[in-house]
Amino acid sequence: MSELPANEEVRYGAVVRPPRFRLEEGRFESDQPVNVDASALDSLPGSYQVVERGAFIGVVADTPDRARIAAQRLVIEWSAAPPPPPACAEPCAKGETDYAWPNRMRFGPSAGWVVADARAGRVRLWAPSQTSTALREDIARLLGRPIDQIELHQALDDGLGRTGADDAAADAALLSAAAGAPVAVWLDRSYAADGDRLGPGQRIALSDTLTDGNLSGLEARLHLAGDAAPALALLLAGLSAADPMPRQPLSIPYTALDWKIEAPDRPGYRLPGLGAAQLAFARESYLDELAHRLGQDPVALRLAALEDPRGQALIEAVAARAGWSTRRRRSEHPEVSHGRGFAYGEEGPAGDPKRARAAWIADVEVNRITGDIALTRLVLGQESGERLDQEQLRAELQRQLIERTSPLLANSGDAQEWGEGEEPRRGPLSIEHITLAPISDQTLSTSLGSAGLRALDAGTLAPSVAVISNALFDATGVRLREPPFSPERVRAALAEYAPTASAGARALPGGIPGARTRPWRKKRWLAASMLPLAGAAAALWPFKPAIAPIQRPPADLYSAATLERGRLVAEVGDCAVCHTAPGGETNAGGHAFETPFGTLYSTNLTPDEETGIGSWSFAAFERAMRHGVGRDGRQLYPAFPYTAYAKLSDTDMQALYAYLMSRPAVSATPPENQLRAPFNFRPLLAGWNALFHDPTPFQPDPTKSAQYNRGAYLVEGPGHCSACHTPRNLLGAERGAEARFSGAIVDGWEAPALNGLSSAPVPWTEADLYAYLREGSSPHHGAAGGPMAPVVAGLAELPEEDVRAIAHYVAALSGPLAATVEDAASAAAERIQAAGLATPLPDEGGRSFERACAACHESTLPGPTSAQISLALNTNVSSARPDNLIQTMLDGVHAEGMIDSALMPSFRDSLSDAQIAAIARYVRARYAPDQPAWQDLDERIGELRDAGADWAPRR
Amino acid sequence: MALPDDLTLTVNGREHRLRAAPQTPLLYLLRNDLALNGPKYGCGLGECGACTVLVDGRVARSCVLPTRVALGRRVTTLEGLGDRQQPSAVQQAFIEAQAAQCGYCINGMIIAVTALLEQDPDPSETTIKRALRHQLCRCGAHVEIIQAARRAAEIARARRIEVHEADPLDARSPSL
Repeated sequence: MSELPANEEVRYGAVVRPPRFRLEEGRFESDQPVNVDASALDSLPGSYQVVERGAFIGVVADTPDRARIAAQRLVIEWSAAPPPPPACAEPCAKGETDYAWPNRMRFGPSAGWVVADARAGRVRLWAPSQTSTALREDIARLLGRPIDQIELHQALDDGLGRTGADDAAADAALLSAAAGAPVAVWLDRSYAADGDRLGPGQRIALSDTLTDGNLSGLEARLHLAGDAAPALALLLAGLSAADPMPRQPLSIPYTALDWKIEAPDRPGYRLPGLGAAQLAFARESYLDELAHRLGQDPVALRLAALEDPRGQALIEAVAARAGWSTRRRRSEHPEVSHGRGFAYGEEGPAGDPKRARAAWIADVEVNRITGDIALTRLVLGQESGERLDQEQLRAELQRQLIERTSPLLANSGDAQEWGEGEEPRRGPLSIEHITLAPISDQTLSTSLGSAGLRALDAGTLAPSVAVISNALFDATGVRLREPPFSPERVRAALAEYAPTASAGARALPGGIPGARTRPWRKKRWLAASMLPLAGAAAALWPFKPAIAPIQRPPADLYSAATLERGRLVAEVGDCAVCHTAPGGETNAGGHAFETPFGTLYSTNLTPDEETGIGSWSFAAFERAMRHGVGRDGRQLYPAFPYTAYAKLSDTDMQALYAYLMSRPAVSATPPENQLRAPFNFRPLLAGWNALFHDPTPFQPDPTKSAQYNRGAYLVEGPGHCSACHTPRNLLGAERGAEARFSGAIVDGWEAPALNGLSSAPVPWTEADLYAYLREGSSPHHGAAGGPMAPVVAGLAELPEEDVRAIAHYVAALSGPLAATVEDAASAAAERIQAAGLATPLPDEGGRSFERACAACHESTLPGPTSAQISLALNTNVSSARPDNLIQTMLDGVHAEGMIDSALMPSFRDSLSDAQIAAIARYVRARYAPDQPAWQDLDERIGELRDAGADWAPRR
Repeated sequence: MALPDDLTLTVNGREHRLRAAPQTPLLYLLRNDLALNGPKYGCGLGECGACTVLVDGRVARSCVLPTRVALGRRVTTLEGLGDRQQPSAVQQAFIEAQAAQCGYCINGMIIAVTALLEQDPDPSETTIKRALRHQLCRCGAHVEIIQAARRAAEIARARRIEVHEADPLDARSPSL
């Protein structure tokens, strides 16, 4: 049976890792718990089990949230692990180049639940493991059960190494055995962090010997255990892994060279083929580096080092088919580079006729801003000794390659990432396959059919890692010496390589010839150091040059992952909220903004070349977003929050540009702005920018958690929360210091304070903020309405972690004394009770309320909306200003796209100003008895009614 | 403006595919497209309750409920409770108590009492009055309506016992 346990049986687990642990030379060292205090869990609702085994600590609870909160509430005293030995100097010895192979390839194929049921005789696991035998062995050791009792479902078994899925499965199994119930553990990028802390599983140092300027010998020194570390729970619990299989002799091509391989005296690998894959990656990368160093052709260098005529014939056939040459193709898109790489591998005993040989040539496209790598062409030559069904092999190769390269190229996620790792770009990939004719008929039976494909799994596929690394180097000039080659690692390597890369595509036109030499790098540094000075002078100069118009970029220039990322940036940035007129086409502009300086209209953001931004290059777009200058050189008004968008990361900026350019073009010209003099003279804004605009990109605070920094980035950058929630000075600039996030009036709506000055009747907690932002209403505060409703609708597109990060950061804004969930619950209960006691005598307002409002707000039968959350908890009712309550009565709540069903009809046409005023007075007296009556009700109602409904539903 | 979408709506246990803008009030689709005229158009502002339907068993004023809120949920109208041959307990009680005068509000009354009995199978008169407080009746048939609600609780109880005696293994309660 592979069915998951019934939902009601499953309990949820969360683990607490030691502050420090590491794996050194196969030895695991970790902080150890001295004391675990779980007394804080007594006051939490539900039942909990704390599981301790050595340095493994976890909690099992009824719901995922409870498990997570309980794990945070455990007070654990740790004893320190011994200090690490001095790190190996880099590189470890002169003339050597270090390659590394990680213990974990990413956290897993995607985020999701991993479930273990260790109740009965058999242990059942549901985990997307890529190394199922090793996992089953680990679980058998962990629980002291025979391996044939470990059942694994949903295993994938097709990666290049272990992933965090194995660690999550072991956590779930240990928790399940202790709790006597099936336990689910959430697998996400936090497991990638565990893998990073384990460090590399293998290091290989390579050096060469040259004779007459030509390669004559290679030396490889293998450090560390070489195998992928066992599941973390096993290590933490102090148990040893299963004995590895005997080491296979490493097979080495290039017999023309003198070989020296130094390996530690340890048994071999549990993961078949791992040693060959590691060595092939290091060797083939090193030969590529060497060829560049010696100025030789990488293919010619290998041909010279081979003595085996069949290997040479295979390489020549592949090179001919691929049209191998060192001449590079130039891209017409400045940020995209093309590259081509070569790698070769052999597998099997030397001299054996069954020995498999494989030669690979790969073409890649690298977007240097997003880090996207697309594999565009692959020529694979294989000597299998078989007349295989070519079509079947082709299909199988394509499937395997796509699965193989996914973990190599996909995102593993960090504070700047969106979502749970992204699929790599999949451009149109052409695969050409060549097989050499068999040597003799005897080899026919060796590896036919699926067995033949199996042979591809281990050694023959090993060069696939190096071939991508080599092509990547060819395209960008940076060498990644450890897989996986995820976009963020490519970006990081490029940024380190060329410090001015933040200037984006402009700094790196076309290829980067000569970029591989040091003097070039020095010059760039010099140029970079002069930039800030020049920049300061340029910022003050009020007349900016126009940036040349371009043709709208083609739709297929960007990967699906980049477009999706751009869509999320646009959602969190709420572009469409301001750039869509009520009832108009999305992003076509024309939404009116009443400001103290006159009326502004938003512009057309669609890629129409005449009226929109279709002719804007990325450079023009980025200048507008960071510096508030349009393509034609005109200063933009800071109602457009470039002050916040300046904080966007380069990658998000590029993704947003890509996304906007991929949208349908709409021809629409917004009305002319109606601004009073002198505000209609745009060049004045150069001075405004010098005074108030800080274009520096977002800098994470290293003393804060990754979640805090992610939240800060989203709130301060793309989310531009302060644009509404911070009051502005007389010149329309956001005020600083304590005024930051202290609340403001925008377009007739009050954006409440987010800092310690919040006037919410019940203090906000992180959990309430999360519920409000994720679903649109919180049980202690009620629903989002007005301009906040489309914001929540946009956030509904974001991954859960990002919304949690925003809630975490906003909770931190209100200071260190954030309320606990219990405080909020008891404060809410008190408020509701007080409102019950304060019921005023029925007057005209009371009667109108009873007729128009009470059917939903006071119903004793459950309804489908959040209207029954007491008005006593509503910030709008307790606020010093009646604006939001009046606006809500006039125009209702139209929270389309929100998860929660907050909605209310408009009463604009059925209630008179006098009735609205009477109801507002009654609601205030009844539900906020501690607040003074509003004074200027009648006047405000008249003004707000005349201003009209601007925030109409947008879908 | 957004073009109408293909919506899938589950009403009285049947799936319907409709082309409409998702913000269309649910009542319009029920009456005009599905010819379910049990729910009535009264005030159009969610105030009188004549349009009440059940959405996942919860009372909803369908004249102000955008249809998108009902997507993926079970909508039950008066027609879904029972018919002439087999009226639900609440419908039967309203017939016996002759609780309708003009009848315009009775849809909402029956739906609200159905939801009430789900929550409290033996409600006191005060509980009934509270639950029906915002279901407006302009004819003044309140006395009969409250009697009907009490009678509905009795009929529902009796039906449960009948089923239980007829087939002791079948403990499922029949529709109210």
